[in-house]
Amino acid sequence: MKRFAIFAGSILALLLLVFVGPHVFRPYAFSGTVVPSPDPSYDFTLQSASGPVSLSDFRGKVVVLYFGYTFCPDVCPTTMTELAKTMKLLGSKADNVQVVMVSVDPERDTPDKLEEYVRAFDPAFIGLTGTPDQIAEVTARYGVYYARHEGSDGYLIDHTATVMVVDTEGRLKLLESFGTTPEDMAADLSHLID
Amino acid sequence: MKRIAVVPVLLVLLSACASQGLTVTDVWGRPSPSAAANAAFYLTIENHGGGADLLVSADSSACGTTELHETYDKGSGVMGMRPVAGIDIPAGGSVTLQPGGIHLMCIDRLADFAPGDHIPLTLKFQNAGTIEVDATIGES
Repeated sequence: MKRFAIFAGSILALLLLVFVGPHVFRPYAFSGTVVPSPDPSYDFTLQSASGPVSLSDFRGKVVVLYFGYTFCPDVCPTTMTELAKTMKLLGSKADNVQVVMVSVDPERDTPDKLEEYVRAFDPAFIGLTGTPDQIAEVTARYGVYYARHEGSDGYLIDHTATVMVVDTEGRLKLLESFGTTPEDMAADLSHLID
Repeated sequence: MKRIAVVPVLLVLLSACASQGLTVTDVWGRPSPSAAANAAFYLTIENHGGGADLLVSADSSACGTTELHETYDKGSGVMGMRPVAGIDIPAGGSVTLQPGGIHLMCIDRLADFAPGDHIPLTLKFQNAGTIEVDATIGES
């Protein structure tokens, strides 16, 4: 009887290992594209409404980096709304994430205007801008494209709409394409926090 | 008894739709930060009629200018935006203007867009003429 119990127990353990194991031990698959960056990525210093801010100021936090502009009517408000939803989904873990929007329109986006803009989506968001040369340097280092074209009233800017995720060590880790759901984004960020 | 009364009402409603051919639903826009000069409206247009139509232009008293625009994928993660001359509404079909695609661009926003606000919009169609709608401000 005892021998049967051991046998049945072993079979059960084996079945659990075969059917449940792969789900438990499978490595996490990011929704975003993983960027292999062994070293910290380019550490910029740009202007916020309350003074200069460097990427390295957020070491220990996951930084969500988005390049956009306040005159952008569709893509930027959509992404900022989704990032705000992502932060809500993260709950208390959101304290370990800093969302930073960098302007690709330094001529029109002043630090004050950017701050007002990003805080309308989430009071914890930070907006950064700089001189046109500084913005050119940061965007080049992060592979961000931006190009002006004339609109009927002022100009519009075509730009990289990818959300970049920098890990707690300051390394560019993930690229989240436009349209990534807040649920997928929150899962990716949550994994980088742990 | 009640069911009999509903039928004529439905018939009147249906004939009202058919006479116009087009119905515009789910008209909305995002709450706009006061710092944002521009905004966008989204909506669905259904064409119940037998002929195709074209959305030619849009106008709103809450915007300096309202234009038909399209966000398009330029490749490599770059999104571009361009004006479109008109939006085709195929016979018996529907078109949805949504984030990341075709939208009505509100240039030089003149009013605050706060959650729950209703922003008047005038849509001009080639065949159906003018249709007045209200965009509800909220997150979708």
